[in-house]
Amino acid sequence: MNNDMDNMKEEIRTLLEDALPLVDFDSDFLFSELDSLGVTTILMLLSDKYGIRLEASDATPRNLKTLESIVAMVKGKLIMNNE
Amino acid sequence: MNSEYEMMMLEDYIARHARQWPQKTAIVCGEERCSYEELNRRASERARALRDTGVRPGQIVCLRAYASIDYLTTYFALHQIGAVVAPLEQDMPETAFSRIASQLEGYEAPEGIADVLYTTGTTGKSKGVMISHRAILANAENLIEGQGFSQDLAFIVSGPLSHIGSLSKIHPMIFLGGTIILVDGLKDINRFFSAFTYPAHKIATFLVPAAIRILIQLSADRLAALADRIDFIETGASAISQADMEVLCRLLPKSRLYNTYASTETGIISTYDYNNGHCIPGCLGRPMSHSKIIITQEGLIACKGDTLMSGYIGDPERTAAILRDGTLFTSDLGLIDSEGMLHLRGRADDVINVGGFKVSPTEVEDAAMGFPEMKDCICIAANHPVTGKALKLLVEMAPGIQLNKRAVALYLKQRLENYKIPMLYEQVQRIARTFNGKPDRKHYQQRPFE
Repeated sequence: MNNDMDNMKEEIRTLLEDALPLVDFDSDFLFSELDSLGVTTILMLLSDKYGIRLEASDATPRNLKTLESIVAMVKGKLIMNNE
Repeated sequence: MNSEYEMMMLEDYIARHARQWPQKTAIVCGEERCSYEELNRRASERARALRDTGVRPGQIVCLRAYASIDYLTTYFALHQIGAVVAPLEQDMPETAFSRIASQLEGYEAPEGIADVLYTTGTTGKSKGVMISHRAILANAENLIEGQGFSQDLAFIVSGPLSHIGSLSKIHPMIFLGGTIILVDGLKDINRFFSAFTYPAHKIATFLVPAAIRILIQLSADRLAALADRIDFIETGASAISQADMEVLCRLLPKSRLYNTYASTETGIISTYDYNNGHCIPGCLGRPMSHSKIIITQEGLIACKGDTLMSGYIGDPERTAAILRDGTLFTSDLGLIDSEGMLHLRGRADDVINVGGFKVSPTEVEDAAMGFPEMKDCICIAANHPVTGKALKLLVEMAPGIQLNKRAVALYLKQRLENYKIPMLYEQVQRIARTFNGKPDRKHYQQRPFE
């Protein structure tokens, strides 16, 4: 389970760092580092990559606080998809 | 409309509204509200304080253009005492801010100048565009007549107040005594949408094409739910795609949707409601009442009228190169159709328009070439799924060195405003150059971008 989490975290990090080179994805205050374009890019890339539906209402400071919270948001959406 | 602007400036209207409807809300920003009476009082008090600190008429004062009531208070206060405002990007690096501020210390603006707005030229050197009080009011009247701004309108301003796209919407709203709602960008999308719940008879906003794309891709349902609330949306500053225009028409069938031709130098020139059943791509409508458009023999758009800039601050040569005998010659290629409507056909220079901001690729390349081990580079426009168009830096590194794009991006962040930093990077074997050694931009324009 932890391995899955780590793998997904690294996969998401690579994907997002490639698209948003200015953003520090190790930050504990990730949301405050992002602009509107960054937020949108994250939602769109993750939607495409994992086949989930992420909307603007998902772009909360809590969901985008850290890379770990982004991973948790994706996992939550995947679970909802499977139910 | 009674054109009385020749003897007035925008701040006179604040004083008039403060007398006529003192409790009317002038500006809303988050939880903070400011009535016209309060705005007038605050601006007058600040004007006195600024005068006491030695600010004098004609002096150009640089301000970081925050989306706040406090910023607008200072903006109006400086005008009240005859000083000139140079609104600069919120995120402008301190070195660039200090450089512009120290350059402007040496200048006294000619009489009648209100603002100096910074824009990028083909060489990458920033140019201070002088905007007169007369031009501000002419632009306001153009928008009021052309798009139906009214006193009972609340206008949501979500873009940077250092840029003509958003700053120019402050002016007609103050002119009429309407309500301005300030929102700091679209990052907090919930805050943006909550602005539409403001209890006004009519609501409108300005969005650059990239922002429209963001909304229709991620919030189409929420936008459609506002179909009865939105009086109009204006876009401009860069080209909007036909697909995005059609989607927006479908989501907001009752709203007027304007595509406008404007620039810092020309002011607000023409506008077209593409939600009129025809949705003509690239159409920018007929010139507004204070403006005239001419197409030169070379196919370039030239403009006349009271909205034009007064010149570039401290640069009479550059001014004379584009502003002659009351006509401003742009680098935009255009045509006027049989119905007198303007259509944009691209640009005649190398400037890249990204989300409404003009970027000189030369400035980006010059900054990037200082990066260690970078042998050559070229900055080009590339397709981007979110913004439509983005800057891309093609890089040739020294032999055996791998491009670290994050390191390059961070290096550029120390030197350039955020909108000038490329989003996309690619390491290439060699940068194509022309026979005389210049970057071969045409070679990359023809390149099919993935």
